[in-house]
Order: sequence, then structure tokens, then C-alpha cells
Amino acid sequence: MQHVTIPQDRIGVLIGEGGETMREIESRAEVRLDIDSESGSVAVETVGDPVKGLTAPDIVRAIGRGFKPQTALTLLDGDLRMFDLINLDAQTRNKNDLRRQKGRLIGENGRTRELMEELTGAHVVIYGSTLGIIGEAEEVDVVRQAVSMILDGAPHGTVYSFLERKHNELTGGPDLGNPR
Amino acid sequence: MSESAEQKWGIAHVYASFNNTLITITDQTGAETIVKSSGGSVVKQNRDEASPYAAMQMAETVAEQVKAAGLSGLHVRVRGPGGNGNKSPGPGAQATIRALARAGIEIGRIEDVTPVPHDGTRAPKNKRV
Repeated sequence: MQHVTIPQDRIGVLIGEGGETMREIESRAEVRLDIDSESGSVAVETVGDPVKGLTAPDIVRAIGRGFKPQTALTLLDGDLRMFDLINLDAQTRNKNDLRRQKGRLIGENGRTRELMEELTGAHVVIYGSTLGIIGEAEEVDVVRQAVSMILDGAPHGTVYSFLERKHNELTGGPDLGNPR
Repeated sequence: MSESAEQKWGIAHVYASFNNTLITITDQTGAETIVKSSGGSVVKQNRDEASPYAAMQMAETVAEQVKAAGLSGLHVRVRGPGGNGNKSPGPGAQATIRALARAGIEIGRIEDVTPVPHDGTRAPKNKRV
């Protein structure tokens, strides 16, 4: 049994219309969710296959960090799909800096965030003071690197060309092997 | 599948940090090691030691030896670095458990045994990214 706490305004999303989303998670991950809508605490208890139940806390956490339930449920689709959370609070100096860095990560009209999603294939959500990533392990890794470049103050153009290069690698451009 | 008297179970201790993954299979007491493996035994580059791929390959080879030792199922104890450091197990943990299950080993209880300080030493200061 594991406990996950999610923000008040995501509880409705986790439960879904008439409990629809909650039931889908329960049946697909073989767990039981005990949601306390007062405090936002969710108890995840495995009832079936423990291997499937392993991802359930991550699914709940992902929904709590702003992902759509449909996206969060893709965590069950493959063995190597993972959920990663970057805490922007810890990487920024103060509230104003957090606002500025979030703006840089999202980009003009969401361009930077969209490019990160399109070029890697991962899903990226910025919510509150966290940046969440859902995707295959190497996609998540690329997004993580791109985010740390932006937080480091790299110009957007540099990050775009980095993503472009990684996009070619991920989609199987010419593989010349590892340098010896 | 019911647990009959002949079925022998073991414990898989999985230590998954962000730099490496260690798998140690012991008997139920934890005193007798049956197999162990770490990231460095399957990959060349140091930075790949913690990758889920490495963990999967390790789990596959480990699973064979576990079967050879006559164990039918494993309880799993996952552990992250813990203490002052990162509380969550690294990327290798899930991959290991899944690969073990896929290799035909029954998985029993999964337990998180990350050491949690009861307010021990001061945490390291935040890293500038």
C-alpha cells in the first residue's frame, strides 16, 4: 500500500465523471484507489498482479501533476515507459525566477514545450512548480537534458537544435556506431 | 497458483540508484546469496549502468541462474539511495521487476526498503542545475 498526495484541483480529474477514470485505473493496473477528497491523499493498494500494480502510484502522481488521464494511462502500455518529475522550485532562486524560467520552458504560445513534445515523442506538462515528462526512457532523458539546458540559461535556438539532433538519433538516422 | 511445500522462494534485493543498479538474489533468510549482478556486467559505458536496458539484460541472465538454483518465485525488495539522498528508486527498478516477471519467475511481494532517516544528518545543499 502506498500513499500519494495530489492537489485539490486534480482530484476531480483523478476520479473522472461518475468515477469513470478512477475505475479505469483500478481495472487496468489491478489496484484499489482510496481517495480522500478532503485532504487529497490517495491510498493505492495492489489487489492483483503486483507487477502491474507497480505503475499505479506513478499514474496517480502524473494525473496529480497535470497530465490527462489518457496520457497517464499510457504508462501501462510499455515496459520502458516512465514518468519523471522535475521540481522547478529547487532549481530556481525565488518566485520571480520561477515565473521567468517557467515562461522560458513553455515558450511563446507554448512553442518550446510543444517542440520538446514533438521532437522527442514524450509528453511534457508544466503545472505549478513542477515539470512532468511521460515517455520512453531515452525520450525522457532527452527532455531532461533540454530542460536543464534552458534552466541553465541556454538560448532557445541552441536547445531547438539540440532537440533536432536528438530527434534524428531517436528516429533512427544514420547510426555510425559508438566512438571507440 | 498456490504455494506448495516444494516451491522454494527467494528474495531479490534490487538497489536502483541513478548511477547504477545492483541485483542480488538470496534465499529467504537473506543470508545465502544465490546470484548477484550489477550494471557494469552488461554495459560498456559508465553512464549506461543505471539504464533500464541494462537492468533488463541483467534480470534476464539472473533469472536463468535463479531457475537453475531451483527457485520458483521471488519476493522483491526495492531500494533507492535513501538516507539524505534521493528517496525514489532509479530507472532500473521497474525494468528489473518486469523483466524478471517476463522471464517466467513468479513475483510475490514487492516491498520498498529505501532507508528513511528519522531525522539524521543535514541534507546536502541544492545543486545549481
